[in-house]
Amino acid sequence: MAPFDLVALFGTTGSYLVYVAIGFAFGFILESSGFGDSRLLAAQFYFRELRVLKVMFTAITVAMILIFWSIALGWLDYDEIWVKPTYLWPGIAGGLIMGVGFILGGYCPGTSLVSVATLKLDGAFFLLGIIAGVTLFGETAGLISTFWNSGYLGIFTLPELLHLETGVVVLLVVCLALVMFAGFEWIRQKIYGKAQ
Amino acid sequence: MNAAYLPETLGAAVLLLASAALALYGQPDLDRKWEFLAPELEPRLSERSVYIDPAELLHLMNDDYIHLLIYDVRAESDWNEFHLVDAEHLAMEDLVRERERLRSLPENAVVVVVSNDEILATRAWKRLMAVAKPNAYILEGGLNLWLNIYGVPEEETDSHGRASMGKPDGTLRHSFKLALGERHAAAQPDEHLVPQREYTARVRLLKKLAKAGGCD
Repeated sequence: MAPFDLVALFGTTGSYLVYVAIGFAFGFILESSGFGDSRLLAAQFYFRELRVLKVMFTAITVAMILIFWSIALGWLDYDEIWVKPTYLWPGIAGGLIMGVGFILGGYCPGTSLVSVATLKLDGAFFLLGIIAGVTLFGETAGLISTFWNSGYLGIFTLPELLHLETGVVVLLVVCLALVMFAGFEWIRQKIYGKAQ
Repeated sequence: MNAAYLPETLGAAVLLLASAALALYGQPDLDRKWEFLAPELEPRLSERSVYIDPAELLHLMNDDYIHLLIYDVRAESDWNEFHLVDAEHLAMEDLVRERERLRSLPENAVVVVVSNDEILATRAWKRLMAVAKPNAYILEGGLNLWLNIYGVPEEETDSHGRASMGKPDGTLRHSFKLALGERHAAAQPDEHLVPQREYTARVRLLKKLAKAGGCD
């Protein structure tokens, strides 16, 4: 039953090769989706370009369906998957900071790496900013440790929040994604016309 | 339908169908999850590698390095009569609520499930494994064997009589004149005063792998 211990299966070198292969596939998809271009990414926030929403939300729904079908069939042990515990207030603050940074800089941390792979200057400087921010946070985290650990809810997922079966929540999230795809496309066409 | 939208429509239909089918099929409950885990874990039961001798449990109770968690899954009346010091009384159906706690146990943690004999504790062990796969063991022979060894019936005849082997499986075979709970001398015998007992140490500490993940 997955997840598998890659080091036990393939040895240390073999497991590194698997990581490289997964990273290559991830980077390939991001770059081929246009996620290495800050103009396309930032256009999402003006409803001019919807690929971020469509690619990311499609990836999330596909992964979600595959994960929970695998669990349902006994191929994957949910308890062995890392699920981030919820720290509500710092999570909200971090989300806001990340969102503002995304709009202003045109990248999220992952996509800035993709842009650096194609030697984009703006991505390289964005990445330098990330490194500086991470360093600064690392040096000052102790000063905000009370806030940083506030709102702890443990591993708190949508089925627990909504008191619904996991499968029903998966269906609702898929419906939400499809409604958002259609709704934002409708808004985009209203603002910018049919041509994309 | 506009041909340009055909792939998107088909993709949306596949996602909807797959998620609707998942909602109908449902996620495995603990019994079903145990069925999935059984091929990997059942040998531990049949080889008795998770059944620990009372002497090993007593040693664990006195080992400051070990983060010991003892779950007593017996009926409340038996718990009231006698239980181990630091044990926690937990009904079988409440084990699932321990998921979060079990997941966050340190790598020096050892969970031991106890019942009157091994029947209920073994069921609870299977359930615990389905809940969170902790580093869990079962008290060999249950509290009946524990009391046979550490019950000191001769010295405590006022509160503790001899075992009655005529009682059915799963019951507490020792009778108590008073419900002493953990105040009974056998609830935490002095490891150095009780007769030394040979046993095969079966408890192994987990070396936890660092778990992390996410995309930012």
